[in-house]
Amino acid sequence: MNCGIFREMIGSYVDETLEEGRRHWFRTHLRECPTCRESALREEPSLLFAMAPAAPGEPEEIEACAVAVMGRIRQDRLESRLHRRRRPWLAVAAAAALVISGGIAWRTMVGGGSGTLQPVVEARRDAELQSSPPTVEVEMAGEEVRVYQFANEADSDTAVYFIVDPALEL
Amino acid sequence: MVKENLCVQSVAHISHRRPQQEAGEICGVSFGSRGEVVMNDLQWIQSAKNGDEDAYAKLVRRHSGGLHRTVARILADDTEAWDVVQMAFLKAWQKLDRYNPRYSFTTWLYRIGTNLAIDLLRSRTSRERAHKAGTEHRLRLVGTGEGAGARADSNETDNVLQQLVGVLTPQQRSAFVLREMEGLETAEVAEVLGCSATTVRNHIFQARKALRRELRVRFPEYLPASERG
Repeated sequence: MNCGIFREMIGSYVDETLEEGRRHWFRTHLRECPTCRESALREEPSLLFAMAPAAPGEPEEIEACAVAVMGRIRQDRLESRLHRRRRPWLAVAAAAALVISGGIAWRTMVGGGSGTLQPVVEARRDAELQSSPPTVEVEMAGEEVRVYQFANEADSDTAVYFIVDPALEL
Repeated sequence: MVKENLCVQSVAHISHRRPQQEAGEICGVSFGSRGEVVMNDLQWIQSAKNGDEDAYAKLVRRHSGGLHRTVARILADDTEAWDVVQMAFLKAWQKLDRYNPRYSFTTWLYRIGTNLAIDLLRSRTSRERAHKAGTEHRLRLVGTGEGAGARADSNETDNVLQQLVGVLTPQQRSAFVLREMEGLETAEVAEVLGCSATTVRNHIFQARKALRRELRVRFPEYLPASERG
């Protein structure tokens, strides 16, 4: 009974004129009935593709995809946060660099000699001694190893981090 | 949305019209057949919008398998398909605020993924296509004396498609894979591809015609004995 109806539907299925509910039934019967499958493929070879599998994919690959996507999202989020915070600091730093370099150039032109550079070098040494050492943290995230380097101890949000892939061949 | 071929993780959550035979809903909370709380896509999307990364990771786990299978069939490349799937989820995350919950998340996601796959196909150089055609190998069928229907198993379908899909345009490939292999309705395919239902039918018609011709030339095993010569 069903097989007779199925065979009558082949033409309509191929012409895309079959109502969706009947189409669904046709595809199910095509998979389940070997006799009808045989005759349908003889009539229309392209029906072979209607029997494509519904395999959901390997769990390991799905998990790897999720880890990669979320890792990238976190990285993008951190980068955008760093970008936003870095802007005013960069502007001040650029201005300071311009003033210092301009001053050095002016002093060199006016005063000359290596003695004029000494105070600048000393000031830089003092600043280095006063600033706290950069904070580094290592975090295990799944198979990844993340190395964070924070700008300073007081700010736990501003950091540059590196993701080390253990599978990477050096 | 009726998607008979979608992966197990996603199929229970895609169809809003699917009758709830085993699962139930009490006070807006969905329960599975074993009484466990089932979060639907919209709940996870809302959590993700509020910054819950774990909720988005769950969406990735639920839908990446099905999306990968579709994209892999369109591209005829399993590895490249995972790259596209990752890009699709990243793009979806970036545009999550613009997602309209009136539409299925799956349709929206598949639209992003399919568009990325079509862009990739268009960007492939003719040299790459020639290389692929030169290295492809003939499918070896087991038991040549048996009927075509008995031989047509699931992996075989994908193998045959992989070798024939090059004769189709990117739009024809996408429409045919979504409609014929994933089992989407015409209206859903039109929504994913951003075209009319008539255009979808035309793509399917042209794709079937081209595939039928190629099958006759390259896989005569699928023809009736009288036509094999």
